[in-house]
Order: sequence, then structure tokens, then C-alpha cells
Amino acid sequence: MAVKSLPIVPSGDPGALAEASNYSTWRILRPEITEPDKVNPIVTLYCPDGALTLEESGVALNYKFCKGCGICAKESAGIRMAPEYTGPKGVF
Amino acid sequence: MNKVLITGSEAAAIGAKLAKIEVLGYYPITPAFPAMERLSKYIEDGELNCKFIRVESDHSALAAVLGGSLAGARSYTVTNSQGLLLMTEVVYHVAGLRQPIVMGVANRALSAPHSRFPEHGDAVSQGASGWIQLFSENNQDVLDNTIQAFRIAEERRTPVMVNYEGYIQSHTLEEVFVPEQDKVDAFLPLKRMPALDVSDPRGVNTVAGPDVYTDYKYIQNAAMEQALTIIPTVAAEYNKVFGANSCGLVEGYMMEDAEHVIAAMGSIVSTARLLVDELRKQGKKIGLIKVRAWRPFPVQAVKELLHNVKFVTVLDKNIVFGVGGALATDIKANLYGQGNMVINGVILGLGGGKCGVKEIKEAVDHTESSETNKNRSEWIGL
Repeated sequence: MAVKSLPIVPSGDPGALAEASNYSTWRILRPEITEPDKVNPIVTLYCPDGALTLEESGVALNYKFCKGCGICAKESAGIRMAPEYTGPKGVF
Repeated sequence: MNKVLITGSEAAAIGAKLAKIEVLGYYPITPAFPAMERLSKYIEDGELNCKFIRVESDHSALAAVLGGSLAGARSYTVTNSQGLLLMTEVVYHVAGLRQPIVMGVANRALSAPHSRFPEHGDAVSQGASGWIQLFSENNQDVLDNTIQAFRIAEERRTPVMVNYEGYIQSHTLEEVFVPEQDKVDAFLPLKRMPALDVSDPRGVNTVAGPDVYTDYKYIQNAAMEQALTIIPTVAAEYNKVFGANSCGLVEGYMMEDAEHVIAAMGSIVSTARLLVDELRKQGKKIGLIKVRAWRPFPVQAVKELLHNVKFVTVLDKNIVFGVGGALATDIKANLYGQGNMVINGVILGLGGGKCGVKEIKEAVDHTESSETNKNRSEWIGL
């Protein structure tokens, strides 16, 4: 395997970390908004990763930053946790 | 070339002054402090244009120096023993961030129990840190190594520790040739490599995920291995310019037909030379290798020097608990599969313990004695 091309001084552009990292791979369960009308807007403050935002159309979910903790589904109606992987049992 | 009578601390300070350091961070500790005292005098007298940062701990001292280096300044500090241990976190930062910082280490034993006396325990504790480590045999070596360290560090973007023993070197007067400033300037052109740039802001030392961390470490190790070719090249050029006698990675002494070889680093090399001279007069085929660069470890050079010998006595003024002396361990590991020699690792001179000609002679005799258990480290001076 070839060595990756990296800066000599380990460093990154401003915001590179937030943009580049894909922590969504940590997820086993994913939140899904099943009934938008019932979602309590306060859950946008409960989300530890800022993956939920309050838009004009209602509460929106950004899967890039969601780690699947399930706090939103616990705290609000209209959101449920669904399995991230749907393959055979034990196989991701 | 100016001949002066100075201590190892002064030699380190003069080396740093000739290198025109720009940032000096320091926290007082014995026996490293005279080097800082001398440097602060140069700054106060206007002989050296350098920012002297006084801090509240050794950890902060190296952190301040790291900041200076990231901004592109030629940076230097001095410490020893407990100070080096307190710095350890930043020691690894400096190496990982590839900053060409040079640090003088006036080697002193580590606590507990508390000791103020010389040994190599502090330097050895940083053997995995990613710093190049040069050991000095005498005060001339301290000066030569300090000047060369900046060249090596800036060529390979890898920090360098210049080790000299507390008191034995730091506080003992010796004759030293001091090179002229203009020649040092030509030998050591300032290579600015700032990592911080206000017009192009970046996050330094950002999180490296599992996808890139191994690559970073591979690249860092490759730079360290390339230093194996840079160190002798720089020494050869230095010798040519200044008429000095720096040995590169290792020096062989009386090695032509040697059957028994003493391997050592630091001030004990001088003592071992006396014994080799004496035993040669008696007709014994004995030689000596002086390991100047302990990190990176000069595998090939050591192999070549030892390829035809029967006995090796390795003198270690340090102990890695449960393993043995650091130099003996390295030599044994790297000679694996080569020849059938007896390698005897000897621990002596810990915390200022006696390590004169008599003790080294005892070690040499034990190596050739069939009664000595060569699988264990031998302790002299209990």
C-alpha cells in the first residue's frame, strides 16, 4: 500500500474536521421523522451533535452528524429509531 | 578557531549562541541551569538577539519553545531528569509536529529515590519519543553536537536532543575549540519553516483519525531513518569546515584486529579509551565503539564494526527495568542472526556511581569469564 500524501506538520484547514469526518458510520440505529406535525421543536436543543435543526418547514435531520444516540426519539413524539443495517442478522 | 577553557554547560550555551537561536524557553533545574544563565547573559549583553521566555514549569518551557518553532523561529531549551519527564507530553508533540527544535539535556538520574548525580536514565526514558539523540563524550562534543544538531534538525524536520552528563560535563572545565561566527553562519544558514501563517490560517495538531494516523507515524519514522545518512554527512562537512573531529554515527577506536570490543556512549567513552590504551600495551586485542547517535540507532554501522569480534562488553549508565541496559538491548536486537559473539550488557555508574577504569576492567574480565550468565545484565559497583 502507498503512504498517503499528508502535510509535514499535522494540520488541517479551518473547519476541515467538521467537514471531513464522517461519524455517521458509528450509527447502528437511525432516527426517522415519521410524523412531522408531532415533533416537539425543543429536541433541536437536546441533540448533542447539532444534527437536528429548526427550519421553516419544521424540524430537519442531518444524517452526516447524527451518531444515532436516540435522545430525540426518546424526548419527542413523531420520531422513531430504525435499524441502520437491514442485512441478515449479525451481518452489517 | 579560538581555544578556551569552559564547562559543558558553557559549551552548550556557546553552541546555541553561535547558532543564533531566536527563542529560548527555560525553567531552572540542576545541573542544566548554567547553560541558561550563560545564554541569558548573552541576551542581556546584547550579544544574542533572542526572545527569552521565562515560564512556570519545564512543561511550559518546551511548550513555549514549540510555539516559537511553529512560528518559524530557531528555538532551543535545556533541561534534565525531572524536567525532561515533566516535559514528556510536549516532547512527543514536538516530534509529531516535526519541529526542528534542539534541546540540551544535562543527563541526571531520575527520582525516586531522589538523586542529583549523572546517568543516562532521563535520555533513555525518551528513547521512543521520535527525537534524534546525540551523546557527547567531552565538552568539545557538546559544542560540536549543538551546532550540528540545528543542521540535522532543520534538514530532516526532526528535533534533536544533545546529551551531556550532569557535573561530569556540565560543571567540569575542559579545553574547547570555539569556531568563528562567520563560518558557523555559512555552515548553518537559517531555514525558516513556519507552520503558522496569519494569511493562511490552519489548525495545527488536528485530530488524525485511524485512516491517517498510521501514515503520519510512517512518515515520521522515515524521516528519522533518513537522519542516519544526514548525521554523518553533516559531521563530515563540519569536520572539513572547522577542522573538528566529530564521528558521525559511531566511532571505532583500535578496531582493526580487535577481538573484544567495549561499546558505550557519553562521558564513559573517554574512560574506556584509557583502559583500551592500557590493555593494548599489554598486547590484548581490544577495541572500542563510541555510539554518538543513539536515536536513530545506527544498525548498519554497528553491524559493520562488530562483524568479526568474539566478545562485546556494553556499558550502560541506565537501566530499563526488566530488560537491562538500553544500549545493550539495542545492540543485541540489531545483531540478531549475525555471528556467534558473546554480548555482555553491563549496568554501572547509575546515579553517579563509580565507573572508572577499574570498574570497566572488571566488566571486561567478566565478559570473557565462562561463569558469567550472559543472558542477564551484569551489575558493577553494588
